[in-house]
Amino acid sequence: MKSTLEKHYKIQQIRSLTDSAYVVRFDRNGIKFLPGQHILLGPPNQIEAREYSIYSGTEDDYLEVLIKEVVPGNVSRKLKRLEVGEELMFDGPVGYFTLNMRDVLSKKYYLIASGTGIAPFHSFVRSYEQLDYTLLHGVKYGNEAYERDHYEQERYILCTSRDEEGDFNGRVTEYLKQNEVDTDALFYLCGNINMIHDCFDILQQKGVDARQLQAEVYF
Amino acid sequence: MSKSIAFKTLGCRLNQYETDALASRFDKNNYRIVNYDDAADVYVVNTCTVTGQADHKSKQIVRQATKNNKDAVVVVAGCMVNNHREKLEESLDNVTYFVDNEEKSQIFDLIDAHYKGEVYHPKKTGNSIFSYEAADKTFHTRSMIKVQDGCDNFCTFCIIPKVRGRATSRPVDDILKNIKQVIGFGYKEIVLTGVNIGRYDYEGIRFEDLLERILELPGDFRVRISSIEADGFSKKLYELFRHPKLTPHLHLCLQSGSEKILLKMRRMYTAKEFRRIMDDIWKVVPDFNFTTDVIVGFPGETEEDFQETVDFVKDAGFSHIHTFKYSMRQETRAARMSDHITNKLKAERSEIIRKLADENKENYRRSFIGKTQQVLVEKIDEQGFARGYGEHYIPVKFKADNVQRNEFYDVRIDRLEVEDEPVLVGSQRL
Repeated sequence: MKSTLEKHYKIQQIRSLTDSAYVVRFDRNGIKFLPGQHILLGPPNQIEAREYSIYSGTEDDYLEVLIKEVVPGNVSRKLKRLEVGEELMFDGPVGYFTLNMRDVLSKKYYLIASGTGIAPFHSFVRSYEQLDYTLLHGVKYGNEAYERDHYEQERYILCTSRDEEGDFNGRVTEYLKQNEVDTDALFYLCGNINMIHDCFDILQQKGVDARQLQAEVYF
Repeated sequence: MSKSIAFKTLGCRLNQYETDALASRFDKNNYRIVNYDDAADVYVVNTCTVTGQADHKSKQIVRQATKNNKDAVVVVAGCMVNNHREKLEESLDNVTYFVDNEEKSQIFDLIDAHYKGEVYHPKKTGNSIFSYEAADKTFHTRSMIKVQDGCDNFCTFCIIPKVRGRATSRPVDDILKNIKQVIGFGYKEIVLTGVNIGRYDYEGIRFEDLLERILELPGDFRVRISSIEADGFSKKLYELFRHPKLTPHLHLCLQSGSEKILLKMRRMYTAKEFRRIMDDIWKVVPDFNFTTDVIVGFPGETEEDFQETVDFVKDAGFSHIHTFKYSMRQETRAARMSDHITNKLKAERSEIIRKLADENKENYRRSFIGKTQQVLVEKIDEQGFARGYGEHYIPVKFKADNVQRNEFYDVRIDRLEVEDEPVLVGSQRL
């Protein structure tokens, strides 16, 4: 069986964020993408690959992805063992979890993530200076607030479910239940399927129309 | 004596389009097109790999190829080759050439070279997936037109992005030229096909824009949209259904009525949105015909999830449902999911949807009694009935007096007759 991945790109930097999460930066080589799109990434000469949302912005001259080592999970573990100067293989970018420029200039956004589901939102914020957003980031522990300094402090709300280091102690679903939302806003959700499903219900009960919801499930 | 060639097509309308185009090219070059069951010099099987059953059937048909002529040249083409080439090369020993989707349009050149004793290496150019000539003689009354190929949705159950590649849109001018040609050949119905046509985007021209341009073309023809996903298009599409040339039918793929399963499938819509699309189109055309695909037994599908699909299907009243039992495809995300459903349960659920679909179909078709359908006649049967499809894509038969194949007739529907399936019976309005 052959790998479907054809592009080889050199790793420029590996940035460790927690024991299991890290950012890999690699050559961009002129690849065009829309914030929110993902790529299929794998170690060289292997058949395994996995989808990762692009973490970097459109103006960056490199590509970055945010990876969490999952057990069991061949790709994330093999990628973690790679070093600067080695090559990655990827296919893409693809996907439609993207923003409409007209809406970016006129609408408010709620960006709701669990764990590494924050990756496409990092790309949104890095790419669209004008973006009017509130970012809800659901994690277990406070140290999983991946590079929170990147976001304007008053726009980033960390929800921690296993410690009390968050701006809110509890899941993002609980935050949404307890707080008002602007029902005219657009809602982008990325991460765990149960979080997304529950948020859909909560938001629609609050009066948000299904057409204002966009989701990217992480598996 | 000219060479004979037989074709067999499995799977989607896109495959049918491609086979039609290939057959037409062989016909123009003096090959005799014969039935697949007859002895032929060349057999071409255009395969499908969307489910395990499709793979099985494709292989079975390939094995039959040399039954009537053990020396025949056998060409196996398409999605199954893209998906399993190495395994097929080991297991199918009667095959002369394996041709993948990117090379498929060059099968004539391959065979032509074969008989000249030459070797032809198909070229994988960027445009090769659209390099089919307009077909003047096809296996169908309707002319299928490929507007798009590939898919970037990456639904978790689906192997198509692997075998058909990235979403690619055919240039607008090529499509318009192709349609003008087939109208010139005498075709009266154009079916727009692709893997994910709602995502058509050629240099900023979206699917609805393309469709609008097609509808503006002069001529006595109508346009049908084949299978489409419930994402990617705008409300402009709904308004286009007011156009007299655009037929009021969509095969809009639901897959599941459960929001949770739709998320697990990574579909790009919610069940609520899907239903709203239907309601919005019904506001434009109240008797619009929706048909759909449903997958039963997706990993983790609970009784509650399945019941949501049943309720959705019942309420939406789809007039036809292709029910698929979830089939694990290697290298898809769903293959690695837990909670796979037993075959027995899948079969039970499939049967429930099938029965429901039969009821829906009969009810929908019965609602046309007393109304008029514009029928494109496909054949005149032995009992002297003209048979074809009305604009809503429902089968109609009527007594044929001076009726020509491939012509439109206004038929008043008098009753419903249940043959293999419910057929509307009418009389020609003069």
